[in-house]
Amino acid sequence: MGLNHPLTLMMTEADYYALFDAYQSGKLVGTERANLERRLTADPSFAQRYYDFQELTTTLTSYGERLATRQKLQAIQAEIDAEEDAETTIETGNPNMPVMHISPIERKLREFWGAHRATMAVAASVAIMAVFVTLLGIEWWRASKSPSLYGYTVLRREVERIKRNQRAMGRAINQIDGTKSEAANQSKFSGTGFALTADGYLVTSYHVIQGADSLLVESRDRQHYHAEPVFTDVAHDLAILRIRDKDFTGFKRLPYSFKRGQSDLGEKVYTLGYPREDLVFNDGSLSARSGFEGDTAFYQVSIPVNPGNSGGPLLDDRGNLIGVVSGRQMDVQSAAFATKSSYLMKLVDSLAAASPKEPYNLSRTNLLAGTSRPQQIRKLQDYVFVVKVYE
Amino acid sequence: MGKGQPSYTDEEFVTAIRRGDDRALAQLYRLHLPMVSHFVLQNSGTEDEAKDVYQEGVMVFYEKVRDGSLELSCQIKTYLYAVCRRLWLKRLAEKSRFGSRLDDHEPYLETGAEADLAEAEERDRRFALMGEALEQIGEPCKSLLEGFYLLDRSMQQLTADFGYTNADNAKNQKYKCLVRLKKLFFSHYKEEESY
Repeated sequence: MGLNHPLTLMMTEADYYALFDAYQSGKLVGTERANLERRLTADPSFAQRYYDFQELTTTLTSYGERLATRQKLQAIQAEIDAEEDAETTIETGNPNMPVMHISPIERKLREFWGAHRATMAVAASVAIMAVFVTLLGIEWWRASKSPSLYGYTVLRREVERIKRNQRAMGRAINQIDGTKSEAANQSKFSGTGFALTADGYLVTSYHVIQGADSLLVESRDRQHYHAEPVFTDVAHDLAILRIRDKDFTGFKRLPYSFKRGQSDLGEKVYTLGYPREDLVFNDGSLSARSGFEGDTAFYQVSIPVNPGNSGGPLLDDRGNLIGVVSGRQMDVQSAAFATKSSYLMKLVDSLAAASPKEPYNLSRTNLLAGTSRPQQIRKLQDYVFVVKVYE
Repeated sequence: MGKGQPSYTDEEFVTAIRRGDDRALAQLYRLHLPMVSHFVLQNSGTEDEAKDVYQEGVMVFYEKVRDGSLELSCQIKTYLYAVCRRLWLKRLAEKSRFGSRLDDHEPYLETGAEADLAEAEERDRRFALMGEALEQIGEPCKSLLEGFYLLDRSMQQLTADFGYTNADNAKNQKYKCLVRLKKLFFSHYKEEESY
């Protein structure tokens, strides 16, 4: 078939398009179809025209299908919706069932909630945990902020606090007459001490004399003597003093003896000391054979002690010196601690061994056993002193 | 569903729909609607949005089936879920809802949904352009072309409808309209491509 074929000449573009349409929809048959196909393969520009036509019309047709399908799906959905409404009608018998109108705000809130449920759950958990952690933290912080070391206080009395006490001032003025010029100065701290030997050795607690420049020992009858530390045992809070005063002539024989061994739980014990300017007696029982936090160098006793009692003697019922009062536990009722006399004895022994020229003549006799408590005290009181610390 | 109809297997669905069985399509639609609806609602969607997304998803499936180019490597249910999930994600992203975590419990499978969706997107673009071109072409071309190609009416019917004196006139008119449509469509198409 050539270009001069009458069929070719007769055909307009419109004719071709009609032909293409027919061919595309499969309506072209027989020789017409065969001719067209032959031409399509033979003539590339012709084929291109067909291709362009095809692209356009298939898109058109598919577009039509798309619209039709959309309608179909919408119809199906409409059916479903109608069925649901019918169900509602059947259940309630009311086709005009009032529909719950959710305001846009509520809808937004519901949307928000639905979307953020997980996030909000996490946020809430974190908030609750934070509250608890904070509460625990505050509790811990408060507990750790005690004024003393782990709730333990030593009982050195700070005299500054009673400087304004008129009686103390008065006594200072009186003491000036005794030509003890240092007595005009108020001591910074004071504690208790007691005689170790008749020669003038005294025992007190280390922390009482800690940092002292000078010491003064005052007896019950207001006698003052200078003293100096001879040895200290910091770990067991012990200090041994010696009176160095030309006016000192020695003590009478000590009525108490020092116990080398341990005392028993439940022993009735008592102390004498100077928590204030006058001698104070206090008693209790041996509560434990270890001290603060289980320190085996100390006893725990149920004596109510106060600052100023430090360094005082702890005695049992039979007048044995069994300990040296050291400290008190803040947060526990009636818990005081005293260094065991066994440690004092060990200390004395080692000192005696170290310097044989300076003997420690410890008394071995006990004059207190068997006597009543008040009698014991009467005998003891001359051997218990105020230890005044000057810095 | 309780309508006394036999239930189709996945294979049967595909065959029936390919054949143009509208009842099968309706059954398929009803079967998987609850799953997708639930998913969209759980992820901050409304009921209407769920319906929209589902219909879009079914459309993708339908057109692939009709085209004969659907390759199912999983259940129809899984395929539809994957497609609708993607569609909904896109919508959420458009709504600027980044950071809202999607709450679904299906592991992501290789369903081929991604590729098919890309295809569908391309197809949607063409259809949108076609729709625009048809709007712009004006009368009588719009009705003529829609009549012939969209509504599948024969030339005889259209000749009668439009009152053309003979079939030749109708044929010539159709040709002119097609040429105009071609111009409109391809100019838009090229415009879009040049972005």
